[in-house]
Amino acid sequence: MKRIIAYLVSVVFLMTILLTGCGSSGNSVSKGSEQSSTTANSGTKKITVWCWDPNFNVAIMNDAKAIYTKEHPDVQIDVVEMAKADLEQKLNTVLASGVKEGLPDIVLIEDYNAQKYLQAYPGAFADLTDKIDYSKFAKYKVELMTLDGKIYGVPFDSGVTGLFYRRDILEQAGYKPEDLNNITWDQFIEIGKKVKEKTGKAMIGFDPADGGLMRIMLQSAGEWYFDKDGKPNFTQNPAMKEAMITYKKLFDSGIVKKVSGWNEWVAAFNKGDTATVVTGAWIIGSIKAEASQSGKWGLAPTPRLSLSNSVNASNLGGSSWYVLNGSKNKDVAIDFLKEIYAGNVEFYQKILVERGAIATYLPAQSGEAYSAPDPFFGGQKIYADLSEYMKNIPPVNYGVYTYEADAAIMGIMPDVYSGKISIDEALKKAGEQLKNQINH
Amino acid sequence: MVKRKMEHSILCKNLSYNRILDNYGWLFISFALMLLVIFLFYPIVYSFYLSFTSSKGIVQKFIGFENYIKLFNDQMFLLALKNTFTILIIQVPIMLFLALILADILNDKNIKFRGFFRTGIFLPTVTSLVATAVLFKMMFSLDGLVNTILLKLHLLKEPIPWLLDPFWAKITLIIGMTWRWTGYNMVFYLSGLQNIPYDLYESAAIDGANKIQQFFYITIPMLKPIIIFTTIMSTIGTLQLFDEPINLSSGGVTASSVGPGNSLLTLSVYIYNLVFKYMPNFGYAAAVSYVIVFITAILTFIQFKVVGEKE
Amino acid sequence: MNLKKLLFRSFAYIFLILVFIASVFPFYWMIVGMTNSAVDVIKGKMTFGNQLIYNFKTLTASYNLGKILFNSIKISLSTMIGTLIATSMAAYGFEIYRARTREKIYNIILLSMMIPLAALMVPLFRLIVELKLLNTPWGVILPAIASVFILFFFRQSFKSFPKEIIEAARIDGAGELRIFSSIVVPMMKSTYAAAAILSFTTSWNSYLWPLIVLQTDEQKTITLLISSLASAYFPEYGIIMMTIVIATLPNIIVFFTLQRYFVQGMTGAIKQ
Repeated sequence: MKRIIAYLVSVVFLMTILLTGCGSSGNSVSKGSEQSSTTANSGTKKITVWCWDPNFNVAIMNDAKAIYTKEHPDVQIDVVEMAKADLEQKLNTVLASGVKEGLPDIVLIEDYNAQKYLQAYPGAFADLTDKIDYSKFAKYKVELMTLDGKIYGVPFDSGVTGLFYRRDILEQAGYKPEDLNNITWDQFIEIGKKVKEKTGKAMIGFDPADGGLMRIMLQSAGEWYFDKDGKPNFTQNPAMKEAMITYKKLFDSGIVKKVSGWNEWVAAFNKGDTATVVTGAWIIGSIKAEASQSGKWGLAPTPRLSLSNSVNASNLGGSSWYVLNGSKNKDVAIDFLKEIYAGNVEFYQKILVERGAIATYLPAQSGEAYSAPDPFFGGQKIYADLSEYMKNIPPVNYGVYTYEADAAIMGIMPDVYSGKISIDEALKKAGEQLKNQINH
Repeated sequence: MVKRKMEHSILCKNLSYNRILDNYGWLFISFALMLLVIFLFYPIVYSFYLSFTSSKGIVQKFIGFENYIKLFNDQMFLLALKNTFTILIIQVPIMLFLALILADILNDKNIKFRGFFRTGIFLPTVTSLVATAVLFKMMFSLDGLVNTILLKLHLLKEPIPWLLDPFWAKITLIIGMTWRWTGYNMVFYLSGLQNIPYDLYESAAIDGANKIQQFFYITIPMLKPIIIFTTIMSTIGTLQLFDEPINLSSGGVTASSVGPGNSLLTLSVYIYNLVFKYMPNFGYAAAVSYVIVFITAILTFIQFKVVGEKE
Repeated sequence: MNLKKLLFRSFAYIFLILVFIASVFPFYWMIVGMTNSAVDVIKGKMTFGNQLIYNFKTLTASYNLGKILFNSIKISLSTMIGTLIATSMAAYGFEIYRARTREKIYNIILLSMMIPLAALMVPLFRLIVELKLLNTPWGVILPAIASVFILFFFRQSFKSFPKEIIEAARIDGAGELRIFSSIVVPMMKSTYAAAAILSFTTSWNSYLWPLIVLQTDEQKTITLLISSLASAYFPEYGIIMMTIVIATLPNIIVFFTLQRYFVQGMTGAIKQ
């Protein structure tokens, strides 16, 4: 009996400690915010930034912060790091609940999602049309953050794509770097067959359930899942049909290593199982992570579709900074982005060298880091090349339903691979399904 | 007469005593009930209202039953419903039976190193999903550990496309779920088994009942309330299945479909996508949620009826 | 007879060992992973490497691990204790003092468990802001305390509690609260142990809600840290594995300390 009482007492005791502990820490938080607001009166302005990649945009934002706060000691910048999906959950929940608390001043948004946020939460983001000189940014990037003639974001990294290849493997199969310049996907498959035959290596890692390549192919032709009015356009879309045909060809060709998911896909080229990677330039960090392959890599322009309007340049991913309208220090936030991301060429050299971030700020591309040869790529000036490709990326309006469309079309692909339905039927079926789904 | 009067007074006494007990009943539940009303019932009522609206973010309008009607033309929703039920019907019985057997073995005092085994088998429950997702995808890749072993043992001629084929992707998901949650359910059974007097087994053994008979005639009947509990919880858990399919499918190069051919798209993943990944439509997502509630309620009712608990 | 027994036992052992290996293998792999570089982890290396110290240094240099762990422990322990008290009392109230109104309330509570959190997040978030609980641990703890599923578990467990003991205690003149705290609670130790383990684990691993409520890095929990580390373009898997191993340890400790109650059957308690 005594033991039980002792037990209960200790539970209550522990509980009080924890509760007071929490209480006091809760107090310290409010104290902290009080402090920052009182000090705000005496001059310190606080800006909160949300972004997601600790090795990439978070690190870059911290670099930007260091540069800016040196010249503006009265500004305090708080960079909050969280997972990308987490950031989207949080942003959606807070914006949708319509409360003013709990939002940052600056937020990073993936380009595919830009229109969705701008249209779903009108008035939530600051109009920067007159604040930033957009003529200095890559055109395709500005396009995707424009709504009703107003421009909302500050363009950040580019998802310019390229054909990254293993020089040694292709050489072994009898190919020179020039042979990979400005090829079509059909030529790509032909080369792949030779590579497979001569070296036994797969040409490319291929995730049959992933729509990344599809989006690369579509944008290379200046097309997307939707028509000009943002309505799903699956059936009257030659680029999409051609992309589907190419997916099926790749699947059947025997030259791909079939993988599922990001890790396996990265492992395929890290292990040296595949000869090429076709994706956005942000992959360079993952390629370079395997130090033993240094000097063995090369870069060529993205393959194009066998269509007259398709070019050897495209984009996958990329993101931009947005300022929240409810921000208490909106002007400071805008000034910060303007000074660093729309004006500091030096900064862009630094983040290219240290983080591999490719700017969409055009003046930055004349900086020295962009013309430096990269030993990992056999001395090729890959950043100069990528900047060149970037100029040719056809602008596309991603609309608001990119992920819905992606899920609809990729969901039907297994039936296309197995030959259960034709490509025309698949496009029709997926298109109808998408229409039903978004029509609410 | 006198007798009846006495009975009457006892009855009265009982009545007032019952009233006191009844007040204690309220007292005991008051704390939890208060929290539930604030943090659960209020949001539920609110989101029920939302299910009659359509929204694009904060652009919201009242549309009555339209969401519920549209559900039945939404192929994605129907697919999610089908996937969820397939997984539910196959996975839950396997997992619970396995958990029951493990709990029964680990309750046997003659087995050595029980604490060691218990902790080990519980580990998957607390192992972070991020890590297991990475590992599972590696092990179940085309040239991964599982295929390699099966090929070496000559159990297979061709490698199985575990995560590349809609059918096998579901099997992989079921394996992953069973791996993760068996130890979890085992804990409930183990705790329940402690409430069964050990003498019952001893006397049964003296009467010549073997282990299998003991399992079916003592363990299962005595654990009935807990088995009901785990069945219902697993049903609810599966209907809300989210983490595993997301982790097995996403991390896709750019994450499009949920598994090959959306074979891992569950209702909860669909709701999540409606709210966070797609054009945010909280009203429609709420409608999907209430359909889940409706289905779960029916299933729970059936489960209670089947096992014959009076409630 | 004896041979049969032996056969049975060896079968049980083989089964246990197989399940054990399958259960522990990923954990072993994580421990291996934290000694390797990210590339080696992705490539599927299964042997120990030499990156342990580097990984540890990088991790502790970038994050205040002590603070993050403290946040997690604080939230999980408070939730666990609150849950045990609130739900076991409520379950006892529902089961022992049966009444028609309360049964109805109970059914509604059970039903409410079936609504996915994603559907409730927007209204719940508004509520938390109105109650001024945003960015405080309370915003996470309070909604989690009244766990319907632990309540349900307690009630199912109380069903097998011998009611005669309560009757006998009442005749002896013990008060209702006294009966609960000094007879029922000690006798249901194994149930409390299981509930504590599961409540702690659930709270420790909870993720969606803490993410929404906790706004600053000051309040960050370990689950949120893992999630943000894992979402990089180039995930540092060695460091991620190390964080995960660290994050798993408290769970293992809690389980290991509480599991001994699974061997103290109720028979002993009754005989006392």
